[in-house]
Amino acid sequence: MTSAAMIQVRDLVKTYGDKNALNGVSFDARAGEILGLLGPNGAGKSTTMKILTTYLSATSGSVTVDGMDAAANPLAVRAMLGYLPESTPLYSDMAVYDYLLWCGEMRGLARADVRKRMAEVARVVGLENVMGQVIGTLSKGYKQRVGLAQAMLHNPKILILDEPTSGLDPNQIIEIRNLIRSLGQNHTLILSSHNLAEVRQICDRVVIIHQGAVVADGTLDELEGRVASRHHLIVGVQTTPQQDAEALRTLLAQTPGAVRVSFSHSSQAPVPTAFFDVEADTDIRTALFERIRGADLTLLELRRKSLDLEGIFQSLTQSV
Amino acid sequence: MKPVWILARREMAATFDSPIAYIAGTLFLVATGLLFFFGLGGTDDFFAGREATVRPLFDYAPWVLAVILPAVTMRLLAEEKRQGTLELLVTLPVTDLQIVLGKLLGAVGFLVVALAMTLVLPALVLSIGHPDIGAIVGGYVGLLLIGTTFLALGVMASTWTQNQIVAFIVGLMLCMFFWTATDALLRLVFDQPPPALALLSFQSQFADFARGVIDLRSVLYFLSVTTLAVLASTYALRSRHWQ
Repeated sequence: MTSAAMIQVRDLVKTYGDKNALNGVSFDARAGEILGLLGPNGAGKSTTMKILTTYLSATSGSVTVDGMDAAANPLAVRAMLGYLPESTPLYSDMAVYDYLLWCGEMRGLARADVRKRMAEVARVVGLENVMGQVIGTLSKGYKQRVGLAQAMLHNPKILILDEPTSGLDPNQIIEIRNLIRSLGQNHTLILSSHNLAEVRQICDRVVIIHQGAVVADGTLDELEGRVASRHHLIVGVQTTPQQDAEALRTLLAQTPGAVRVSFSHSSQAPVPTAFFDVEADTDIRTALFERIRGADLTLLELRRKSLDLEGIFQSLTQSV
Repeated sequence: MKPVWILARREMAATFDSPIAYIAGTLFLVATGLLFFFGLGGTDDFFAGREATVRPLFDYAPWVLAVILPAVTMRLLAEEKRQGTLELLVTLPVTDLQIVLGKLLGAVGFLVVALAMTLVLPALVLSIGHPDIGAIVGGYVGLLLIGTTFLALGVMASTWTQNQIVAFIVGLMLCMFFWTATDALLRLVFDQPPPALALLSFQSQFADFARGVIDLRSVLYFLSVTTLAVLASTYALRSRHWQ
C-alpha cells in the first residue's frame, strides 16, 4: 500500500437487457502498479475495461480516475488513458506512420511533438522497420505493437490493455510481455488475461473476476496461499523393471507428514519414470528426498504443484 | 474544431483510397453528363435545344447525387463498428458530435471534388453562349447544400448498422424519400399544399437555386435537415451507453 489509488472502481453494475454482465465490481489500481484482471472468458473483464475507458457507461456504480469521476469528465479521463481494446482494432488501410501521426494529432499533440514521440515509441515497441508499411499487411505480433504504440503515444499516466497477448505466437508473447513489464515502470497499468502464468509473470497484483463479481484481490502468492491450505507436490522417481508403481507409492506414502499419495502417470523417455501427486499439511520436500535416497532410488523431479486458473476459480468461487 | 478537421482529412484520404470513390465519381460524371446532353429519352436534347443554359445539370444532378452519395457514406461508421475501430475512436479525447462532424466533412470533401469536375459543363456552355452566371452560381450552391444534406442522411444510416450494404440501402431510401416523396406525399394529401407545408419539399426548396435565387430560407432549410441528421447520428453513437 505504497501510493494512493490512481483508479477507484466502486460497485460497478452493468446490465445488457436482462443479463447482468457486472454485479457490483469494486477494486483500486494504485499509481505505478501493474494490475491484472484475471478471469475466464465472459467473466466481465472486457466490460469493466470498456467502462474504465468511458466507452460504455455503467448501469450503476462509479469509476474515479486520478480523483475525477469518469462518467462526468469523459474527455479529461480519456486524455489520461492509453487503451488497447481486445483483438487490437486498427485501420488496416493506413500505413503505420500515418496512423500513429493521426492518433497523436487526434489527441491534440502538435505535429512536431507527435513525430518526436513516434520515434521514441517506435524504438520502444520495435516498430522502426515497418513504419512505412500498411497495417493490413503486418503480422499479428506487429499489429499488436502498433496497438501498444498508439496507446502509449501521448505518454499517458494509465495504460489499459485488454488481453494484450491473445492470438500471438510464443515468441511474440514473450516479447510483448517483456514490453509490458517495462512499461509498468512508468505507468499505472491494468491488463486483462485468462492466463495465470502471464499474470504471474507481469502483474504486481491480481483482481479475479468471476461471473461479473470480484472473487479475490491480492498478490498471486497471497491468493494461492489462501486457496491452497495443503501443500501439493509432484514427485518423479526413476523406475526399474523390478518395481511397480504401487510399491513405489506405498514407499512414498510412508514418508512422515504425507497425507495422500497417488500415482499420476509414468513416462519412458528419457528414462523410465513414475510420477506421483503428494499432498501434505506441511512442506515435506526434505523428508521425501531423504526417504527416496534411503530406499536407494533416484529422484528425478520434485516440485510444488502450482494451482492452475481453474483450480483457483473452483476454490475461490466455492468459498464465496 | 481541430479534431473534426483531422478526422475529416483522414476520411477523405480513406475515401479516395477505396474504389468506391472512383466508381461513385465516374458514375456521377457519366450520368450527369449524359443527362445534361441528352436528357431522359432525348426529351430535352442539349444540341437540339439551341439554348446556352446549364439548367439540365441542376434538373438531373440531385437525382444522381441521391443515388451515389449514400455509397460514399455507407462505410463511414458501419465499417468502424464492424472492425471494432469505433471503440478506439470514441475513446480518444473527442466528443461523439466531433466524430460525426468529421466524418460528414470528409464526405463533403468528396462532394466538392465531384461537383468541381462537372464545372467543365458550364465552361462549355460559357464558351458557346451567354448563360445566366447567377443561375450557375446559385445552382452549384444548391447542389452543395442538397448534397451535404444527402450525405448527412447517409452518415445517419451508417450509424445504425455494421453492415455497409444495409447502410447504403437505408441511406438511399432516406435520400430518395426526402428528394421525391415529400412533394408527392403533400400532393397526395392536399390539392393545394399550404405554403408552410410546401416548404418541406426538397424539390421546391431546390428549385429556387437552379433559377439563381439563393433564398436564405432554403439555405436554412437544408442546413436544418443536415443538423437534425447530425444530431440523430450523434445520438445513435451515444446509444452504446444505454444498450
